[in-house]
Amino acid sequence: MNKFFTLFFALFFYCGFSQNSSKYISRQGHVSFFSYTSVENIEAENNQVLSIFDTANGEIAISMLMRAFVFKKALMQEHFNESYIETDIYPKAVFEGVITDFKVPVEATTKIVKGTLTLHGITKELEIKTKMERTNDLPVFTGSFEVLVSDFKIKIPPVVAGNIAKRIEVQFRFEYQPYEN
Amino acid sequence: MMSKKVKIVMMSLSMLLLMGGSYYFYVFFNAAPFSGDIVDYSPEIAISSEFLLDRFVEDEQGASAAYMEKVIEVEGEVKEVTFLNNRYTVLLYSGSKVSYVMCDMRTEQAEMVRKLKEGDKIKLKGVFKGFLMDAIMLNCVLL
Repeated sequence: MNKFFTLFFALFFYCGFSQNSSKYISRQGHVSFFSYTSVENIEAENNQVLSIFDTANGEIAISMLMRAFVFKKALMQEHFNESYIETDIYPKAVFEGVITDFKVPVEATTKIVKGTLTLHGITKELEIKTKMERTNDLPVFTGSFEVLVSDFKIKIPPVVAGNIAKRIEVQFRFEYQPYEN
Repeated sequence: MMSKKVKIVMMSLSMLLLMGGSYYFYVFFNAAPFSGDIVDYSPEIAISSEFLLDRFVEDEQGASAAYMEKVIEVEGEVKEVTFLNNRYTVLLYSGSKVSYVMCDMRTEQAEMVRKLKEGDKIKLKGVFKGFLMDAIMLNCVLL
């Protein structure tokens, strides 16, 4: 069982025995990425990103299916899955992190989330500036960050190297709901 | 020596081939995913939402291999319809308290999807993308 599921189980187990559940879930988180070059702009989005947020300790776990990223052009989507991310081998990307200086209740503020991102079989430490708000008394997290293609050993053939940026901008939005089980 | 008439015919044919080839490559490189319209795809597999989730709980790898990127037909009971990020999603009960079948609906389905309510028994088809906590299907249309 990988680390991500261990974290999920730990979160569920803890919250299952607490009187006031501290756990929130977002099943339809939004993650998009953008590659800007002078040759072409590429963007894709995934609207089925799973995230669990635990207010007991400020931990956040995120998991997404790389195949669920939708591109405007079918050929780009095919190259992304088959050649770059190799989704048959690495179907998911996972982030596990903790909000620094976390306090409850969640108030409108910007915090740093420190954690690790695992993508294409490579794990890297990340610090992500995250805007935290409450909408209808529920937490909403938004933000953006950059990843270096080379950090995750994604091989881009020289013939299309000019079409794909070396730094990819990633944006996210998670609207959480209380987790009920 | 080719006659002038043959030369003109050959040049015209070459031009037509070039234009046809260019058009083909333009369409090929710019085609949107599922531009052929999923409505025309016959489902390869027809199953219930409960069976789909059971398969994943029992054997995630085997189930992924069986369903991944295939157009599948799923029958189930509506848990809820959500509208998030400008998209309608239908969640189907799966017999589990924590997992559902999550169906991202095509935009032209909005009018029909808005009429759905909890407990409705429906059939839909879509492209199976994998399993996180829920089974995820994209490009879904109601049947």
